[in-house]
Amino acid sequence: MSEELKNKAKELLTNKKVDLIIGYQRAADGVLAAPCFIDSQDDAEKLIWDSYCVYNLASYLKDFPAKRKGIVVKVCDLKSITVLLQENQVKREELLIIAASCPGVIDEKRLNPLDQQAQEIVFAGKCKTCKTITPAYYDILINEPQKNDKLSEIGQDEYEPVRKLEAKSIEERFKFWESEFSRCIRCYACRQICPLCYCPKCVAEQITPGYFSKGVNLEGNLSWNITRAMHLAGRCIDCGECERACPVGIPLRDINKKIEKEIKELFKYEAGLSVEQKPLLSCFDKSDPEDFIK
Amino acid sequence: MTGDRSEWEPKIVGFLCNWCSYAGADLAGQSRLEYPPNVKIIRVPCSGRVNPLFVLKCLSSGVDGVLISGCHTGDCHYSEGNFHARRRFTILRKLFEYLGIDPKRFQMAWVSASEADKWAKLVKGLVEEIRQAGPNKLGHR
Repeated sequence: MSEELKNKAKELLTNKKVDLIIGYQRAADGVLAAPCFIDSQDDAEKLIWDSYCVYNLASYLKDFPAKRKGIVVKVCDLKSITVLLQENQVKREELLIIAASCPGVIDEKRLNPLDQQAQEIVFAGKCKTCKTITPAYYDILINEPQKNDKLSEIGQDEYEPVRKLEAKSIEERFKFWESEFSRCIRCYACRQICPLCYCPKCVAEQITPGYFSKGVNLEGNLSWNITRAMHLAGRCIDCGECERACPVGIPLRDINKKIEKEIKELFKYEAGLSVEQKPLLSCFDKSDPEDFIK
Repeated sequence: MTGDRSEWEPKIVGFLCNWCSYAGADLAGQSRLEYPPNVKIIRVPCSGRVNPLFVLKCLSSGVDGVLISGCHTGDCHYSEGNFHARRRFTILRKLFEYLGIDPKRFQMAWVSASEADKWAKLVKGLVEEIRQAGPNKLGHR
C-alpha cells in the first residue's frame, strides 16, 4: 500500500499536478509516523501508510495558501476537510485528495514502548466505533476500502462513555470534571492540533475584552474548556486529535461526543457530511426544540 | 460581599433584547408591578447578540444566575436573531448540565413588550430557583 502511494506521489509531482504533498513519514523513533511535506519526487520515497499514521493532516492545509496541495487522508480526516470547505477556509481546486483505505489507527498512549513487535495493536477509541469505510469523495483512492474485522465491533455504542457520565448525579459530574480540568495547564495543545480551530486570534489570548482568566485555576480552566467545546459545536468531526495531544490526559472526546450526541438528537445534524450542508449554528429550524425556555 | 449565607442575596444578570424584553421590563416598572430587585439588566440589541462567552464571563465572575430574554419566536426585530440564540443556548445548557453546572443558573425566556406581568412573575420564580441553588462557587469574587 505504501508502494502504491509512493508511485502515485512521484507521478503527481513529476507531472506538476501538485506543488506539494502532505503525508506521513516514519518518525525518528522508527515506530511512529510523523507528518511530512514533500515537494520533490525523490522525497516521495519517504511516504508511508499504515496504522501508525495517526495525525490529522488537515490542520496543515491552512499553512500553504495558494499552493496546489496533495493530502493523504483517512476517512475521518476527510470529514474535517469537508468542514473547512464548508466554511470557505480551503479551496477545492487547490486540493488533491489522496484517500487511503484506513486499517484503523493505534492508540499512541497505550503503545507499549518495550514491546515494539507486539502482535496486538491497541486501536484508538474513535476507530473502535468507526462506521464509515468509504470516503465521501476523493481524487485518488489508494487501495480499495475494506473493513478491518478487529474494528467496529457490532453493537458497540459510540456514546457509551458519555452515557456513563450522564447517569451520574450533577454533583458527581461536577466533581469529575473539576478534577479533570484541575490538571489542565492551559498549553492550548488541544487548540493547536485541531484542524478546525483556525482563528488567527484566539479568544483565549484576547485581552480587550478578556473573557476569562488566563491563569491556571478552576474558573479559567473550566471557561476555556467550555469555550473550546462551544466553538466546535456542530463542527467537530471526532478525529480525536485534541484528546491525543492533551499532555495531561483530559478526556476531551467525551465532551465533543456529548455535543455531537445532543445535536444529533435535537437538530438531526451531523458535522462533516457534505460540503453543501450549512453550518449548524449559522442556520436554524423554526421547529427547533425550546422546552427549557420560559 | 460577605460569605455569610444568611445575608446572601442571589445576584442575577439579565441580557434583555432592546425590542421586546427590555420594553416589557420597562412596562412592569411603569405599571408599578412589584418584583425582586436581584436582576441586573444589560440591554442588548437582540437575544442573538448574546455570545455564550457573556454567560461564561458572568458565571465565572461570581454571578449566581444568568437570564437571556428576547422576543417570542417569529417576532424578532431582525427576523431571525432569536432562532439563532435558541439553537446556540440549547447546546450551551446541555453542556452545562453535562459538566455539572446547575442548569438553573442559566435560563432563557421569551417576554414581549406587553408582557409586564410575565416579566414580574418570571423574575420572582427565577430568584426563588437561584436561592435554592445557593451561591455560585464557581467564580472568583
